[in-house]
Amino acid sequence: MIAKRSKRQLKLIESNTKLIQYAIVVILVGITTLVCIPISNAQGYHVVSFVMLFVVSVMATFLGIGPILLASTLSSLIWNFFFIPPHYTFHIDKTEDILLFFMFFFIALLNGVFTSRLRRQERLTREKETRTNSLFQLTKELSKSVGIDEVQKVTEYNLEKYFDVKSFLILQDGSNVLENKNRLVSEKKLGSKEFKVAVWAYENSKVAGAYSDSFSTCYYTYYPLVGTRIKLGVLYVKMEEPFSDDKQVLWNTFVTLISNALEREFLGELAKKGEILEESDKLYKTLFNSISHELRIPVATIMGASDTLMSHPSNSKIHNELNNEISIASLRLNRLIENLLNISRLESGRLSVRLDWYDINDLINKVVSDLKEELRLFKLNIGIQKNIPFVRVDFGLMEQILYNLLLNACQHAPLNSTIRLNAMHNDSLLTIEVLDRGSGFPDSALNNLFDKFYRVTGSKTGGLGLGLSIVKGFVDAHKGKVFAENRKNGGAKFIIQIPTPESEITEIN
Amino acid sequence: MNEIDTILIVDDEIQIRRLLEITLSANGFNVIHSMCGKDGLVDAATHNPSLIILDLGLPDIDGQEILKRLREWYTRPIIILSVRNSEEDIITALDNGANDYITKPFRSGELLARIRVAKRYSEINQNEPICEFGNLSVDMLNHVARKGDEILKLTSTEFALLSLFVKNSGRVLTHKFILRQVWGFGYVEQTQYLRVFVAQLRKKIEKNPSKPELLITESGIGYRFGE
Repeated sequence: MIAKRSKRQLKLIESNTKLIQYAIVVILVGITTLVCIPISNAQGYHVVSFVMLFVVSVMATFLGIGPILLASTLSSLIWNFFFIPPHYTFHIDKTEDILLFFMFFFIALLNGVFTSRLRRQERLTREKETRTNSLFQLTKELSKSVGIDEVQKVTEYNLEKYFDVKSFLILQDGSNVLENKNRLVSEKKLGSKEFKVAVWAYENSKVAGAYSDSFSTCYYTYYPLVGTRIKLGVLYVKMEEPFSDDKQVLWNTFVTLISNALEREFLGELAKKGEILEESDKLYKTLFNSISHELRIPVATIMGASDTLMSHPSNSKIHNELNNEISIASLRLNRLIENLLNISRLESGRLSVRLDWYDINDLINKVVSDLKEELRLFKLNIGIQKNIPFVRVDFGLMEQILYNLLLNACQHAPLNSTIRLNAMHNDSLLTIEVLDRGSGFPDSALNNLFDKFYRVTGSKTGGLGLGLSIVKGFVDAHKGKVFAENRKNGGAKFIIQIPTPESEITEIN
Repeated sequence: MNEIDTILIVDDEIQIRRLLEITLSANGFNVIHSMCGKDGLVDAATHNPSLIILDLGLPDIDGQEILKRLREWYTRPIIILSVRNSEEDIITALDNGANDYITKPFRSGELLARIRVAKRYSEINQNEPICEFGNLSVDMLNHVARKGDEILKLTSTEFALLSLFVKNSGRVLTHKFILRQVWGFGYVEQTQYLRVFVAQLRKKIEKNPSKPELLITESGIGYRFGE
């Protein structure tokens, strides 16, 4: 709207200035005539011609060609009528005066025309410079922009700046089908009829829509964006009037530049997608291998054990041992499934954190009692800060975090060694540490410990390498941090820090 | 009750029904089962079992809905046995009147223990003035709680909380339920109060407050009282 209004105003100003210019010519020539009357009386009418020529030349430096034509005609006629004898007629007596009159007219005319042509030239040069400059700006900004979104922003900004039009981009989806989707303003969509024209422009690589040869009744004008190798999409604009030839050339150059930049980013994104796909393919294979291994072992145990149970119906010693194996295998399967479910909860992004006030003692008790069997083989040393305030966390997630860390310690520490579990709260930060006396980690592993499906090379225990990545995911969900480090005298230390406000209520009477 | 207890199992998985039947029969229960919600409602009405084990993911009617319909007339214990393990599902089921909630996979021992607890308290709990849990005895009429011979000094809120637990012992009580019952509707979000009083109560009634045996925390859901 603003752009439209200013355009209309500009036109108005333009026509106004033309009228003013003609008025200025008439007034200045009139004044000069009045001034010249005494000069003519004192110095003769020849001097008057010089004064008038001078005034016309001065006017030529700031007025357009029309007003100058008027000025030279008017002044020569006035000179003739008022100053060349016989006065107050257009008749001229002397031959030399006739000559002078024509010379005056031509000099005034030439003077005016040349000066204004010079000025036009100058204006053209200036315009050319702006154009070159705009192209330079666009090229610079496009080459600097990273990602399709940024290219789109640069495009919209520059087109508005240099062409005074609002432009929109729609792109193909990667499989050569135009999508009716604006990447920056998602609710901005084309109507179905308009979109059909956009698709036509895209498929035929031809301009379509308003002021073009095809579908000219459309609201927008559609410019296909074609790179050197692929079609990218369509740029559409709402134009008030067709571009002038000069502008059209510049516009086409802009569109080409934009297309090239888009192509660069588009192909870049495609390549990245390909990389991700390849990565996920690799991940899938690792996952498949390790999951099938992890699933088969306990299933094999259960199948084998139950078969043996059936074939030895009365041996109670074997029964007990096999029952125990089945129990262990099913626990292992259950844990695996829990981990896979947790990971998929994290991956789906639908993990919701339900914060509430909890007593850390409760949390630790719960986890320790859940891991009673495993922890029986170790000395567990729990150090909870005295009068630790209630903390605001998700109990279920925290439980899983601690469970995985403690289980991890149980799996890596030597039997009968001490596992320490510390909890403290300082400056709105809950810190929980789990320390074991296992073999710690090789330095190379420290960075990848929390990656999905990562397993320290040569580690003896089974597992998918999901436990710690779940810890990381759940800690992240709490906006907290988790670190791992090697202890000085051997063993691993995990530290989690969860920001949580401190309960103001600790005791009520 | 000397007659053999009948347990109704409502579950669409044949393997689970078979396992439950074997386990429960071996422990002296009489088992009937239904494989969908409609049958379950009919069987509950015709047999009036002494306990119902209900799955939530049934093919015809959602378990929560069945739970609500059962609770319109059925007052004996209902235990939910489901693969759904989110806190929301559990809390909803408890609010809908389930006595307990066990997630699949489960340990048979655990299930049997929960069945016993649910049955025991549903039978004795009604109008007994004095309830005993280990060496803790609570006299509901005279508002006195004793640990061994020692009379516990409880504030009125602490006693209100304790008697709520005692009346519902064996049952999981959600945070909201407890807050509503003891403090009133306006306090439903004030979990901090609850934590403070639970901590204080534990100091008074538990042998070792840092390893509670009576007042048990149920992860993210609430508390359960009982041995």
